[in-house]
Amino acid sequence: MFSYDFMQNAFFVAICISLLCPCIGIFMVLRRSSMIGDTMSHASLAGITLGLLTSTNPILGAFIFTAICGALIEFLRKYFSHHLDLILTIILSLSIGTAITLISSGKLKANANVFFFGSILTVNAADMISIAVLTILSVLTLYFLYNSLLYIAYDEEAARVAGVKVDFINYIFAILMAAAVSISIKIVGVLVLSAMIALPVASALQLEKGFRTTLLCSIGFSLLAMIIGLFGSYYLNVAPGGFVSLTSVGILLVVLVIKNIRAVIRRMQFSK
Amino acid sequence: MLSIEHLYFSYQGQPPYVLNDLNLHIHSGDYISIVGDNGSGKSTLLRLILGFLTPVKGSIKLHSNNIRYVSQKNDFSHAGFPITVTEILDSYRKLLKLKDKNEVNRVLELTHMTEFKDRLISKLSGGQAQRVSIARALIGSPDLIILDEPSTGIDRKSQEGIYTLLRDLNQKHHITIISVEHNLEMAIANSTNIYHISNGHGHLCSPEQYACEIMHNTGRNPVDHENCSCFTDVTTQAQAQAQAQAQAQAQADDTTTEEVRNV
Repeated sequence: MFSYDFMQNAFFVAICISLLCPCIGIFMVLRRSSMIGDTMSHASLAGITLGLLTSTNPILGAFIFTAICGALIEFLRKYFSHHLDLILTIILSLSIGTAITLISSGKLKANANVFFFGSILTVNAADMISIAVLTILSVLTLYFLYNSLLYIAYDEEAARVAGVKVDFINYIFAILMAAAVSISIKIVGVLVLSAMIALPVASALQLEKGFRTTLLCSIGFSLLAMIIGLFGSYYLNVAPGGFVSLTSVGILLVVLVIKNIRAVIRRMQFSK
Repeated sequence: MLSIEHLYFSYQGQPPYVLNDLNLHIHSGDYISIVGDNGSGKSTLLRLILGFLTPVKGSIKLHSNNIRYVSQKNDFSHAGFPITVTEILDSYRKLLKLKDKNEVNRVLELTHMTEFKDRLISKLSGGQAQRVSIARALIGSPDLIILDEPSTGIDRKSQEGIYTLLRDLNQKHHITIISVEHNLEMAIANSTNIYHISNGHGHLCSPEQYACEIMHNTGRNPVDHENCSCFTDVTTQAQAQAQAQAQAQAQADDTTTEEVRNV
């Protein structure tokens, strides 16, 4: 299987996705805004179609458009401070409207359908360079903003008093979300991309560990889901997006079952 | 430490004001409790002091940059957040760019939380979680700690522990404390002064004066009220002012209606 170039490319991208998505996802989940990931993954479709329309790299198109949408979400928070759901509806309307209009116009220079479900066949050298650069830049930014992002999620007011420029960092985080979405769309696809952002974190949260351990476990679960998902996609000849998503749900179920079995054993030991 | 002069504030940026010509001077080493009814503007005043809100008129001068805030949403409300006590404190230390790693152990000892340092915040009681919030506020030895209702949702025994800790920090470590309080008993027992806000106006009382006022207002004043009068006059004055404003508004409305009829 690894003798094929496309599989090598797909695994390289899978490692990048497994590294970046949970790092972004953990902050989104803890800020109770994991649905932003879903909105931004759908918003990326508009960026892809704009990229295909102008014959530029669709991943770059997705990154730029999704980053603009992320910044727009932060901007609209000032006007709809208690209505995040409404903001997401506005962004979805803008982006999906753009995508449908462009796709139905028939002017796209390539087929956009492959981005809906993901594909392991379509990752080329140009994509790999874009994905590698975005991943390295994002991980470095996350490393330097780690404590600020942690405190914005944990206690935003305490972060402000400590001198953290919360609004500015929220805009940077929006760009990081755009990067995570952009590197994932080729393999995972637009429709189930939020599974890679939220589900590994959901599984890791069940372990009830500290923040750093939860983050590392999220990356581990994400890597496991991607590897099983890609193998499944290759041998069953199905779209990787759906299979990776199902694997993520499967991992969460296994974690929940093991957690419950351990609780029952502990109760039995205690009652003896 | 803090000077507030002729402070006016409303969320609309125009009258009627939530806070109306407030004046308050807090000195280093003071322990001031801000009290008043729900909606009187206590938390608004805190947010103004912290710079989260901007005054419409007047000035707030803080003479120290080394201040900390313990919000009303204490660490107990972060149930489900996967973070240990040490992670909370160490991360805040790094946020403040403090290099001394022993700072975390120091604040844990000060708040008697060393034995819980590896515990998840979600596994702590309300009182313990509030101690973690105070421990976090102590990182970097601040000059001033601002607290918003530090005893909310905490049982009485834990409350006493929290206030003993705050009193020690104030008296032994000379940290100035400003605390918004609903817990009048603890405010009277621990504060050097009490700032009472009513109808947008504020007045500074000693704890004894404030206790006397409370007794007077509830008809249980054993001493002559004249000797301890603190904010009753202010309240009466504010009520009279509110009445006058309402009358002026009513007159203005009548005039407008008359003008419309004439047209």
